[in-house]
Amino acid sequence: MISEEKLRILTESAKYDVSCSSSGSNRKNSGGIGNGKPAGCCHTFTPDGRCVSLLKILMSNDCVFNCRYCMSRSEADVPRVTATPEEICELTVDFYKRNYIEGLFLSSAVCVSPDYAMERLLLTVKKLRTEYGFHGYVHVKGIPHADEAIVRETAAYADRMSYNVELPSERSLKLLAPQKTKESLLAPMRNLAKQSRIFREEKRKGRFLPAGQTTQMIVGASPEADGQILRLTQSLYRNTGLKRVYYSSYVPVVHDSVLPDVPAGALREHRLYQADWLLRFYGFSVEEIVPEGENLATEYDPKCAWALRNLHLFPIEVNRAPLEMLLRVPGIGARSAYRITEARRYTALTFEHLKKMRVVLKRARHFLTANGKFYGSENERAVKGLLASGEAQTNAVQLSLFSNPETAFSALTGEL
Amino acid sequence: MIYLYDGSHEAFLTAFVRSYGDRDAFLTSTQCQLPLGLNVVTVPADPACAQKAKKRLLGFDARSMHDLDRILRSSQPDRDMVALRYFRLIAQKKRPVREMLALDAVIAADECMHRVAIEIHRLHGFVRFTETASGALYAPITPDHDIADLLLPHFRARLPQFPFAIHDVGRKKAAVYDGADSFVAPLESAEILLSADESAWQSLWKRYFNAVNIPSRERLKQQRGYLPVRYRKLMTEFGSPDETPFTP
Repeated sequence: MISEEKLRILTESAKYDVSCSSSGSNRKNSGGIGNGKPAGCCHTFTPDGRCVSLLKILMSNDCVFNCRYCMSRSEADVPRVTATPEEICELTVDFYKRNYIEGLFLSSAVCVSPDYAMERLLLTVKKLRTEYGFHGYVHVKGIPHADEAIVRETAAYADRMSYNVELPSERSLKLLAPQKTKESLLAPMRNLAKQSRIFREEKRKGRFLPAGQTTQMIVGASPEADGQILRLTQSLYRNTGLKRVYYSSYVPVVHDSVLPDVPAGALREHRLYQADWLLRFYGFSVEEIVPEGENLATEYDPKCAWALRNLHLFPIEVNRAPLEMLLRVPGIGARSAYRITEARRYTALTFEHLKKMRVVLKRARHFLTANGKFYGSENERAVKGLLASGEAQTNAVQLSLFSNPETAFSALTGEL
Repeated sequence: MIYLYDGSHEAFLTAFVRSYGDRDAFLTSTQCQLPLGLNVVTVPADPACAQKAKKRLLGFDARSMHDLDRILRSSQPDRDMVALRYFRLIAQKKRPVREMLALDAVIAADECMHRVAIEIHRLHGFVRFTETASGALYAPITPDHDIADLLLPHFRARLPQFPFAIHDVGRKKAAVYDGADSFVAPLESAEILLSADESAWQSLWKRYFNAVNIPSRERLKQQRGYLPVRYRKLMTEFGSPDETPFTP
């Protein structure tokens, strides 16, 4: 059994990885323990509001890379531990049996060399699947610069793999994660996507990454605007076929002259996720959401901001509008849109109906007519005022006698 | 007229048929304050009548019995009337009505079924098994709705080699899988002998749960929304570190 201290160190180094979902795999139980649940399953929630679905752990925190933002970077003075494959497998199976977790999220620092670290990951997953008969969800992190053959073999045992893009531009990557290059991160992603496509086309037996690939970016450690981040996201969804892009708002765990001392606000991360959802489920393209060099508005959600810029398209009639247009009304999500399209086949909907159906009308009423009636405000400025959220977040910091405009600026952005 | 029945499907269907022409019918299976001035009848289950009604309703809507099961499992005090209105609508329209989402009867039934479904989904994650000395797994739960046996297929599919019992402590019954078959049995209380490693694993899990949290980003309201406090008393990670495991 792994020691408590080792578990604590390996978990604390892994916890800033935000990917948590356990969905997308329907792996069956063929003698042994566990299966996949396509909808995913959350097992508990920590006080920071995040779900615990997978056992998120590093194989080792002993890293040869020196990424400036990372607490396990080679220069850092932290206790170094490495777990054995048996310890990880045993921990996974025993936690899974007690229904603590839905599967394993296995990552590793670049221990000894990229190939060695990747090989250890492969060894662990292979053991878990073959010797321990585990059929639950397994997410494996790819190590940049590792050999392609090892990665491909790992993918045959995993449900999902991910390479972290880390930073949204090559320039920031060079500065903050000097050993990682854009190509070392994007090439293996493209490769896995290609393998996966071939696997499906040839209808081969077994599974190859049934839950696809994801990635993650740190937001707020470098100066890229939301527009640029979301353009990268869109190209990852469209060209590389990624399932999810995660955003992790920067938390200063390491003090470094090139890194900001102020955490990026949770609101920015929230707005990015909202925009991400618009890209994936609401038929928006990034050009409609935000111009390249700009950030998302903090006082409105991205859909609301889009609707306010396009007031000439509204109001729409709830009984006749097509589904694509209903989904573009602020406050109406997939669930409400479904309810409306079903219910209106049987009766002409009024605002009373919408209220009873629990369609959220706080924002939607300014953009809808129901059975010809309009309950919103006609005045554009009034609408904007009514819809602005009160909790606009600022990065304001109390300045001291010694702060000058430059230091105040670099506290926000680092030296970039 | 007030129709009292015992809460079973058969008795519900019998009462449904008996009360069909009665516009002021009030149907209930729970102990509640009854209004004055109305006649009370107790409706026993009539298998023949129920069978006939079931066949008719299934003809109108193939999923109607599934819906009935879900609604009657709810702990909502007015579940019987919710079911009555929903089934009257099916009988009246002679077709499935679940998509007529602007009608009161359908909205009420839909919400009631949704509450039961969401609790099943939550408990798939929140059930905590403890390993007993014999190797079998035991999990106490206190769900809002009567769903212990609906959790069986999920755990049976993923833990086929482990016999387990999910004990609904409040309703005093257990959903049991003995390694081959699954069944529901009445269970007052259980004496659990823990396996040798159990408390070590529990303590590892607590350590993991505390380590994976990011204290600088505390969002307790969000945590409460996803994981309501009432579920926490039987979850390992919310017990104090040196507490002995729960035994009812």
